[in-house]
Amino acid sequence: MAYLVPSEFVTKMVDAGESKIFMSTKDTVIRAYMAGAILALAAFMAVTIITQTGMPIVGASFFPVGFCMLYLLGFDLLTGVFVLCPLAVIDRRPGCTWGGVARNWMLVFLGNFAGAVTVAFFAAVICTFGFSTEPDKVGQTLGNIGVARTLGYEKYGAAGMATLFIRGMLCNWMVSTGVVGAMISTNVTGKVIAMWMPIMLFFFMVFEHSIVNMFLFPSALMLGGKFSILDYFIWNEIPTVLGNLVGGLAFTGLTLYATHIKTSPKREPARVRAVA
Amino acid sequence: MAQLKLSIGQHSDRGRKEANQDFHGAMIPAEPVLGLKGVAVALADGISSSKVGRIAAESAVGGFLSDYYCTPDSWSVKTSAQRVIAATNSWLDAQTRRTAHADEHDKDRGHVCTLSAVVVKSRTAHVFHVGDSRVYRRVGNSLEQLTTDHRVVVSSEQTYLGRALGINAEVEIDYQAIALEPGDVLVLATDGVYEHVEPRSVVQAIADCPDLDGAARKIVETAYQRGSPDNLTVQIVRIDALPDGEAAELEAHTGLPLPPLPEPGALFDGYRIVRRLHGSSRSHVYLAVDTDAGAEPVVLKIPSIDLRGDPAYLRRFAMEEWVARRLDNPHLLKARPPARPRNWLYVVTEFVDGRTLSQWMVDNPRPELETVRGIVEQIAAGLQALHRREMLHQDLRPENVMVDGDGTAKIIDFGATRVAGIAEAEPSDGDAILGTAQYAAPEYFVGEVGTMRSDIYSLGVIAYQMLSGRLPYGARMAQARTRQQQRRVAYASVLDDARAIPAWIDGTLRKAVHPEPSRRYGELSEFLHDLRHPNRELLDANPAPLMARNPLLFWKALSAVLAVALLLLLALHFGRFH
Repeated sequence: MAYLVPSEFVTKMVDAGESKIFMSTKDTVIRAYMAGAILALAAFMAVTIITQTGMPIVGASFFPVGFCMLYLLGFDLLTGVFVLCPLAVIDRRPGCTWGGVARNWMLVFLGNFAGAVTVAFFAAVICTFGFSTEPDKVGQTLGNIGVARTLGYEKYGAAGMATLFIRGMLCNWMVSTGVVGAMISTNVTGKVIAMWMPIMLFFFMVFEHSIVNMFLFPSALMLGGKFSILDYFIWNEIPTVLGNLVGGLAFTGLTLYATHIKTSPKREPARVRAVA
Repeated sequence: MAQLKLSIGQHSDRGRKEANQDFHGAMIPAEPVLGLKGVAVALADGISSSKVGRIAAESAVGGFLSDYYCTPDSWSVKTSAQRVIAATNSWLDAQTRRTAHADEHDKDRGHVCTLSAVVVKSRTAHVFHVGDSRVYRRVGNSLEQLTTDHRVVVSSEQTYLGRALGINAEVEIDYQAIALEPGDVLVLATDGVYEHVEPRSVVQAIADCPDLDGAARKIVETAYQRGSPDNLTVQIVRIDALPDGEAAELEAHTGLPLPPLPEPGALFDGYRIVRRLHGSSRSHVYLAVDTDAGAEPVVLKIPSIDLRGDPAYLRRFAMEEWVARRLDNPHLLKARPPARPRNWLYVVTEFVDGRTLSQWMVDNPRPELETVRGIVEQIAAGLQALHRREMLHQDLRPENVMVDGDGTAKIIDFGATRVAGIAEAEPSDGDAILGTAQYAAPEYFVGEVGTMRSDIYSLGVIAYQMLSGRLPYGARMAQARTRQQQRRVAYASVLDDARAIPAWIDGTLRKAVHPEPSRRYGELSEFLHDLRHPNRELLDANPAPLMARNPLLFWKALSAVLAVALLLLLALHFGRFH
């Protein structure tokens, strides 16, 4: 059998959330840093492909390599821990508190951000020969994305904010489906296929992913994008993070938990009745 | 999977003596004993000055071969063999003393003999040795002597046995474990043989004769022709094939195919599935009735799909039933002996009609202290039964304890149990922590091997949680990854304004869950005693002096003070001269 039954993968999700709450600070930060960096590399590659071919679907088709790499290496994205950690608290695992969840989220956010910004800096160096020339074509594309997806939303005010939030929600619905899909499969091929589909979908549909954006916008700023750091946080990163949190938890974590898990064994003593 | 295969050849002859006081024997059991206990080969040489040397040698070898196979399977080879030899020794010593009283106190006339024994189990040869017989291993064209002769040389003609069985009430037994390769040859010989045949002829004889008995006879004849005056005995063990690292008895279990997950009402290997009790990414548990044996309910545990590709998990899964079968305690889950050959890999145990301790805690958020003590004592009774057989539970947590309708607590899961006899035959699992983050003792997180104190820690955490609904260290102990970080994690007092918990219990629990194993309770019974009787030492508000709490820090501080004083004196000294 190449996939797990629901009772197995849902307990596995809760176990995974629990173990992340219990993870040491060092491990949490290192894993988050590496995850942010690898995902940023894949985003850089996808933008390069789109610039060269002019076809976003080709970039989106290859973008999932980053996600597959970081998942198989056991690194953690903020979008993943948004879904998994709360399940351990909801399942009343001893020692799992909202404080522990917040600690994990904070560390993973910082780690992802540091990793993504590191790659953003490398990308900016590559696109400008160490800041000695004007950005090349890829650099210009990155700069344009930065402007379009901050000031572009700001133009529409509250409606823009709502759009951003919904795009964030849809994004983590898909990404966390990829995480769960990878847990259901028992071999590497199955895991890769299960992750590939939803990740490709979200990237092509330009849903907002908080960690991909931690690469796109800082690199755009370094490449001379005409928007401010404040614009980036208010008109992109913060609503995206919140959208990711709500989308992942509501559409993936809680739905699977509510339908598939037995919160506790039956209370009343079980009597054996007549056997069919 | 390859099995342990070996050939044995042996020969003994009285030679130029009137009686043969050597004795030898070998035992190759059938499966499953072969995998559990291995093959035993032993040889003894009764001292020639005594008329009863033959009896001593015979008792030593015979006792070793029969008693070794009676030891609990959970004992390691070393423990089993050393205990068997020690018991034989005390018996021989008693015989010696009895006859010595009659025979003018002459121990040279007693039940004294040498003993060299080899147990081949899994991929290792365990060598046990007392006296001046020898065990060799073939190396190229020569023999490497593995044992040391316990001889005291008085003159070129006269030597005494420095150590032997039957001389003293206690005997020191040399032990060594040797990793084997296929094709290895071990040779056991008495002094009548090895003093007269050089290693090269022994190797040559083994190479020449395909039949090892023939080779042994040839070696004995050579020794005789060269004028050996003594009894002549030699045993040859050749390793033909070795198992693949895992203990063979577990191969038998893990070799079974993995079952599909049955539906309620379905027939499964002679059991009718009543309903599913529990399912997780570790295992699936079903209530079932045996269609043959009336309507007695049993529990079937089936490996999860997730972990089926993990050989270490499957090995532990097979081990679990093996552990449960060997235990008989009201506070440990009993395994049902297999009534018929099994077609799938699964475990059958008794059905405990009750709830898990974690559910019990939800149902009883504010239990009486006496109720908590009652349950803790029952779990401890189960743990003690495990510990007495040299087993560690390693994964004690509320989900692994069932409380039935009568309030009886039972430990139900032995999936992480470490068995002393098996741990040595099993290749290391790496640094996997088998326990659960909240309940596993801190030493597991820094990669140390657990002890009985680790199980006491887990029980302490459970007692703490039952009383207070909290954990002593929250999530922080599991997050710490070094000893230093662990020491810095603060213990939160179990006392709670909202609950009636006597203050002295806090000292007991604090000691039970101390991060440093050496400062925990050493015995479960001490912990249980302190749960019932306020312990003054732990109540004392004044902390112990630094010298007692942390001797290392005390001496470091003292040395630092002395160093500063020395520097000051030097400065003053030189200051006066300038």
